[in-house]
Amino acid sequence: MRKFSISPPVAAILLAIVLFLLSGFLPNGFGNDINVAIAQATNIVRLAVFLGVIAAGQTLVIISGFEGIDLSAGAVVTLAAILTYVTVKGEDDKVLLALLISLAVGALIGFINGLGITFLKISPFVMTLGMSGVVTGLIIIINHGNVSGKVAPIMTRLIARPLSPDIPIPNAIIIWIIFGFLMWLLLERSTFGKHLFAIGVNRVTAKLSGVNVTATNLAVYSLAGALAGFGGFLLVGNTGVVFINLGQPFLFPSIAAVAVGGTLLSGGKGSYWGTMAGAIVLTLITSLLTTMQMPDSVRRMVLGATLLVMISIYGRQRGFRQ
Amino acid sequence: MSVSLSARNIVKRYGGVVALSDGNLDVHSGEVVALIGANGSGKSTMSKVINGVVVLDGGQLLLDDKPVRFSSPQAARKMGIATVFQELSLVSKMTVADNIWLTREPLKSSGMIDRKLMWEKTEALLDLFSGTFKADLKPATLVSALHPDEKQIVEILKAISLNPRILILDEATASLDSRQVERLFELVKRWKAEGKAIVFVSHRMEEIFRIADRYSVLRNGKTVGQGDIKDITEKDLIQLMTEKEKVFQFTKAASGEDTSGLDHPIYLEVENLTTETLRGISLKVRQGELLGIGGLQGQGQRDLLLALFGDIPYEGKIRIKGEVVRFKHPRQAMRKKLALVPGDRAKEGLLYIRSILDNFLLPSWQNYGFPLKMKLAKRDALTISERLSLVMAGLMAPVSSLSGGNAQKVVIGKWLLRDPDCYLLDDPTKGVDVNTKAEFYGLLTELSQQGKSILFYSSDDDELIGLCDRVIVLHDGKIRAELQGASLTKENLIAASMGVSNGGEA
Repeated sequence: MRKFSISPPVAAILLAIVLFLLSGFLPNGFGNDINVAIAQATNIVRLAVFLGVIAAGQTLVIISGFEGIDLSAGAVVTLAAILTYVTVKGEDDKVLLALLISLAVGALIGFINGLGITFLKISPFVMTLGMSGVVTGLIIIINHGNVSGKVAPIMTRLIARPLSPDIPIPNAIIIWIIFGFLMWLLLERSTFGKHLFAIGVNRVTAKLSGVNVTATNLAVYSLAGALAGFGGFLLVGNTGVVFINLGQPFLFPSIAAVAVGGTLLSGGKGSYWGTMAGAIVLTLITSLLTTMQMPDSVRRMVLGATLLVMISIYGRQRGFRQ
Repeated sequence: MSVSLSARNIVKRYGGVVALSDGNLDVHSGEVVALIGANGSGKSTMSKVINGVVVLDGGQLLLDDKPVRFSSPQAARKMGIATVFQELSLVSKMTVADNIWLTREPLKSSGMIDRKLMWEKTEALLDLFSGTFKADLKPATLVSALHPDEKQIVEILKAISLNPRILILDEATASLDSRQVERLFELVKRWKAEGKAIVFVSHRMEEIFRIADRYSVLRNGKTVGQGDIKDITEKDLIQLMTEKEKVFQFTKAASGEDTSGLDHPIYLEVENLTTETLRGISLKVRQGELLGIGGLQGQGQRDLLLALFGDIPYEGKIRIKGEVVRFKHPRQAMRKKLALVPGDRAKEGLLYIRSILDNFLLPSWQNYGFPLKMKLAKRDALTISERLSLVMAGLMAPVSSLSGGNAQKVVIGKWLLRDPDCYLLDDPTKGVDVNTKAEFYGLLTELSQQGKSILFYSSDDDELIGLCDRVIVLHDGKIRAELQGASLTKENLIAASMGVSNGGEA
């Protein structure tokens, strides 16, 4: 098993393709119709975009190591969605403002996470879990006066619709591909990315090689918050409505997507393209089980089992830090 | 209770490195034997062989004249051999009592731990050192709250609680103050009278002459002398520890340039540098000078290099080319063209699971723009790896795939890429194979000829004598001696390391 070396993102994509082809044999599957198959595949990838974007921030904090995790991501998604909803109020020219607010509020919450983790030495798990509670409380306060708002038409057009009638690729997927490229630039082609991997592996080495560990750690949590905010902005553009529990269901899948994508949960190694593959696998499995009319309980079990199987196949989890 | 232990012709290899080639030691009831040797002579390996921490590759251990073979420390402990470790083996989040009785807790008939009894027994042990503690030490005190000296005492008590027949004190006095050492020596005399056999490993000459009855000197993994302490002088002992034969041929800069370095301008000036372990260090390094730092391990060499590199806070003044600097972070030191090769390459020098390329470029990414110019980065990394003749599968292979010597080349290589003016080296040849060592020596000579200043701490005295024009010897956080020219001899180096008062300046 150890000699069998295939990179985890490739493994995840292969798994997705095999599952998708098998799903064609289901009673209500796509059968022999190639057009239906393409349409179904496109739709699954489109659905995966939201999980994928929300998992981007998760990827960064997990790479940063030292039990790095962002459990406040779900709550931040909801908050950003609500803020977008009430800011835009159906007007196209408020969309940019709403996007900036989502990013800024997310970044601020992430920054506070970073402060607690860096300076008060609170473990990321506890800090972000606490923050999740605080933000959820905030949402309830805002929501109490019954949020009134509306998504702008341009958002629906940009996020939910295809590029043009002739090219049936949803805009969301285009956005995701550009987003994925930017994430690759950040992780693999920027000094920040290199420093991020370094602090994820060994903070002593990083510091003695001139890396500003404190600043990098603060930046990564701020960035993760901003990306969760961006996820909320996109999500509300797709759903068109907001509710208190909008973002929370994405929290655990966002961590699972990172793990399935082959990023080491102990930090220092991973990729966003792996997370994208992970998001597609998880979305595909969920949607297949839904098509098969499996109850929620079964869906959860299958998702949990998939996560365990994938990670044990990678067999690369390090038990203890040296 | 009578006991005797003898180790005969012990051989121990770590990979290709021979730590012990002919180690011998005899110890009997009612005596203290001092195990003596310079850095890397095999002292700690010898004590690890006796207490079962390492399994010997050759030779014989005789306990009460019967051959024994210890497969683990527990096996040795069952035979009545206890060790006070120099590297503390305490669990910091447990109490003093829990630590002392760990795995041997007194039980009630119900099978529960008898805390009351455990605490009483701990109190009795603590009484042995009563009056020497800075603060009140209770069985329930957490070990993490203790000072280093108190931890060392708990370590001693833990060993003695086993009521061993043979007690090994491995540098047990290093962190104790004089009162505590005094008390320990009183206890050692009492234990001796009780019939225990004691092996005393120490670097302090004065203590060896006070407490030991006999000595056994190791040099380069061989026992070169044994006898009664009353028959030997300090000077002869140092002579014994000093080897005659040289293993390496060192190539110093051509003799004509040898002295010309002394006219170069001063590069680095340190005035009264003080940290937790350093107690007022002042020194000057010229451009192109290779200044050796000697002394026993843990005398403040590490702190000196880390303080210069801005990694730890310090008091005092540091000048670079006449300008006062105060670094608060290594990257500020790097901007002033300093470089540090830390002492523990796995924990401080490398990103083990990352690629060789990532390791080489970690300090330099800022210079490669955005998006990072990867082709240029790879070319630069390749140039350095060729210059160091690095043996690797490729730049993308993880550092964890490299041998020790090659991994160390990566640590040095990442600085070469930045072309610093001053290198701070913390024992860079430790655990490195012979060929790589020779390559390093060549590199150091080359760098100093290029006008780079180098501060070179080494635990290998031959290296210092062979490579450096001038060596400062640290002892207890102070410069004990400055050796150069005719005074730079192994005898003087070892004498100064051991804190012998007349050692040093010839």
